[in-house]
Amino acid sequence: MSTHAPAPAALTMTKAAAEKRYPARMPKNGNANAYRRIVIGLLAIAVLAPVGLIIYQSFLTAAFFSPRAKFGFDAYRYVFTDKNFYRALGTTAIFSFGMVAIAVPLGGLLAFLITRTDIKAKRLLEILVLVPMFISSIVLAFGYTVSVGPTGFVSLFVRDLIGIVPWNIYSLPGMILIAGLSHVPHVYLYVSSAMRNLPSDLEEAARTTGASIWQVSRDVTLPMVLPALIFAAALNILLGFETFGIPLVLGDPNGIMVLTTYIYKLTTLFGTPTYQLMAVVAVVLILITLPLVWMQRRLLRNARKYAAMGGKGARVSTLKLGTSGQLIALSIIGFWLFVSVVLPIGGIAVRAFVDAWGEGVNLWDQLTFANFDRMLEVPSLVRGIINTVVLSVFGGALAVGIYLLVGLAGHRNWGMSNTVLDYIVLLPRALPGLVIGLAFFWVFLFVPFLTPLRPTLVSLFVAYVVVGLSYGLRLLQGTLIQVAPELEESARTTGATIGRTWKDVVIPIVRPGLAGAWALIMIIFLREYATGVYLMGAGTEVIGSLMVSLLQTGAMNTIAALSLISIVLTGAGLALALRLGAKIHD
Amino acid sequence: MTELVVSNVQKWLGGLQILKGASFTAERGSIVALLGASGSGKTTLLRCVAGLEQPEIGQIVIGGKTVLDGEKKLALPPEQRNIGLVFQSYALWPHRTVKENVGYGLKLRNVAQADIEKRVQGILDRMGLGHLADRFPSQLSGGQQQRVAICRALVYEPRVLLLDEPLSNLDAKLREEARYWIRKLILDLEICAILVTHDQSEALAAADNILLLQDGRIVQQGGPQEIYSNPNSFYSADFLGANNIVRAKIKTVDGRTAVIGGDNWSLNGTIRETVGLNASQDARAVIRVEQISVTDSPAADGLEMNLDDSIYLGDRWEYRLRRGDFVAKAHGAKQLASGKVWARIPPESVWVFSAGAQ
Repeated sequence: MSTHAPAPAALTMTKAAAEKRYPARMPKNGNANAYRRIVIGLLAIAVLAPVGLIIYQSFLTAAFFSPRAKFGFDAYRYVFTDKNFYRALGTTAIFSFGMVAIAVPLGGLLAFLITRTDIKAKRLLEILVLVPMFISSIVLAFGYTVSVGPTGFVSLFVRDLIGIVPWNIYSLPGMILIAGLSHVPHVYLYVSSAMRNLPSDLEEAARTTGASIWQVSRDVTLPMVLPALIFAAALNILLGFETFGIPLVLGDPNGIMVLTTYIYKLTTLFGTPTYQLMAVVAVVLILITLPLVWMQRRLLRNARKYAAMGGKGARVSTLKLGTSGQLIALSIIGFWLFVSVVLPIGGIAVRAFVDAWGEGVNLWDQLTFANFDRMLEVPSLVRGIINTVVLSVFGGALAVGIYLLVGLAGHRNWGMSNTVLDYIVLLPRALPGLVIGLAFFWVFLFVPFLTPLRPTLVSLFVAYVVVGLSYGLRLLQGTLIQVAPELEESARTTGATIGRTWKDVVIPIVRPGLAGAWALIMIIFLREYATGVYLMGAGTEVIGSLMVSLLQTGAMNTIAALSLISIVLTGAGLALALRLGAKIHD
Repeated sequence: MTELVVSNVQKWLGGLQILKGASFTAERGSIVALLGASGSGKTTLLRCVAGLEQPEIGQIVIGGKTVLDGEKKLALPPEQRNIGLVFQSYALWPHRTVKENVGYGLKLRNVAQADIEKRVQGILDRMGLGHLADRFPSQLSGGQQQRVAICRALVYEPRVLLLDEPLSNLDAKLREEARYWIRKLILDLEICAILVTHDQSEALAAADNILLLQDGRIVQQGGPQEIYSNPNSFYSADFLGANNIVRAKIKTVDGRTAVIGGDNWSLNGTIRETVGLNASQDARAVIRVEQISVTDSPAADGLEMNLDDSIYLGDRWEYRLRRGDFVAKAHGAKQLASGKVWARIPPESVWVFSAGAQ
């Protein structure tokens, strides 16, 4: 018998480290590997096919179905010599960074006030603060047009008061300000969760050594949440590059273009669809956003490392604001809520019930239901509403089912296929909805046996599933990971196959989480507007995309009515999500 | 009847080998304890038997069926091994009632519903849980949950019952009761059981056969008395019992007996190092605390020592003894005055090993 005694501490350290790096492996057979590979393979096709088609199209000289199409760099040559392209690229960069400069400090401040102080009405604020995130940005942008646009309700009111309108939202600064304010929730979400996870003993340790609570906030809290702030900034730059609704509504009238609206305008610029040029710009956009997504992933891992340091100890001390402090804090949040929620939504709510609006029009004389009556007479609009509801409610449920299947394929999967899954999920995040919609439009044109499905809701549904993939899968994976491994292992040792284990143990346990995920996916699908721009056709209209096309015609009354319906539906979805206990803070 | 054969199981995690060739067998109607410190690989070994982890090398046969063969690349998943596993955390399914938890294994084996009802009720009654059949696990106490977990693993009569630290989540009093009735149950039902534990008293009280693991290897195996009173290595000697560890120099060696000593003291001892020891080598001696008896009256066969303090432990007193660089603990029934005392230490209880790596 050997009697050598290695230092036990060193041994357990290395063993723990090894277990972290190389998690335990189940036997290869009986572990649903075939299922995992098939599901992940199908998903890979669903994600890679459209991206591949975009790249393919970008190297053609004409639309891919045209007999004149040849391989060549003509499209790249055209785009890279187009002044408008570089202007759009520059504007997009300024827009994104400007948005971050507004959203990150404000989001950080809101997160600090709501999680770290004894501010009043905390529970209500926690929900209200997230509202702008759930409303589609085209609705928000339109809301700003009718309230603070050149002839908006508020603008005219101010002009009556002081003689001029001291702002112009149809400008780059205006766009940046509005986009910045409406992206505050995205920052708030990550920073507040980092602040919540911060163990109070770290701060208490600093306080006992003599630091005041303000010094602690600056010297301990801020550095600890810095990774979350950086992550939120990276996320917002990405969202800035992908944004479509705000530049379309606010920038387009004055010819201010970003990359997404540049793609959109290429269609109308030439009269005929110039697919190859659109594809080139989409490729450029992906080349910019993909590194951002990758960077974000690294940052998130880093941020988790920080958060993992803390236990879940209940926060003992919050910063006491005092009477004047409460007043200032509530005023800040109230003003922000007024600007980013009340102004646009209020504007829409009023505009939807007004037939005509402009200078010298008395609001009270104009109140009417005519907008809705007229809307209900137009079949495409009615279909749009019905389709939107169908896609959100049933499509959302089906999408959750699909995400669940994918989530299970990745659940406790340590094989090669899981790495593949990880990277596939990243890709849709780098694609703006507009580009995904365009790509799927092409896929449904390109693949013969899919062509009959293009004029049906199926085409929209598939695109929506890909658009919502990373968010939906994160929701589901977050739920699945909460099932303790022993609960599954005990089913296995009792005699259940892995499929039986999923059916009898995993899915029943995560069922409440599934309901919440459904409600959240429903909201995502409700507010989606960019994906349908190219995909929708007669019979498959959806509210958001209808608004995009109506913007070209300037049918304000109809847009206002549709916006209000969209807001009401989103509100209903949000109420349902809260009712079902969805974790809107994830 | 041999129900479980484990031979030469080796497992790596990345570059680190955590099981270095474990082999043992287990019989029906007996309990084998896998005992070891954390990181010794005992739980990994159990999980390899259960099929929850896959060793790279080795062979495992359960009830005559080969479930793992490294050479033939055969590894059956857990559900095909016909085992029952009781988890440390019990792992009861929170969405199923006690009855449904226990009956699940029978349902998977396509037993008729009426039969399931009967057998589940039967085993629940036997464990004194009959009245809790329709409760959910969250409505049960820790001890009740543990018994449900055992029922769940037993009801379908697996060939081998695996218990992963089943008692560690119970409070101390409950634990002593539990290890008694678990042993009784397993002997009554004539099952083959493997018990993983880091608690030596649990292993000594419950097992028929103890495998002591160190660093991925089985360093000693035997019955509880054998392993307690006849350790073959310093690790075995030190791991079990409450011990005094004495660092000393070997003065003389005579066969298996030796005299060790240090600064102003010497003791007769027994060499237990397998490779043997020579005079003037550094050595470590292990003396079980209960083997030292202390008196305050001079004893010719006792070592004169200084009593630093007597510490009251409730049921006994602990003495802190010192002579030069020899420091020891001993127990006794009464308080002794600090100062000169005599300690009787039988030579066969002074186990001498080499000084080890340091």
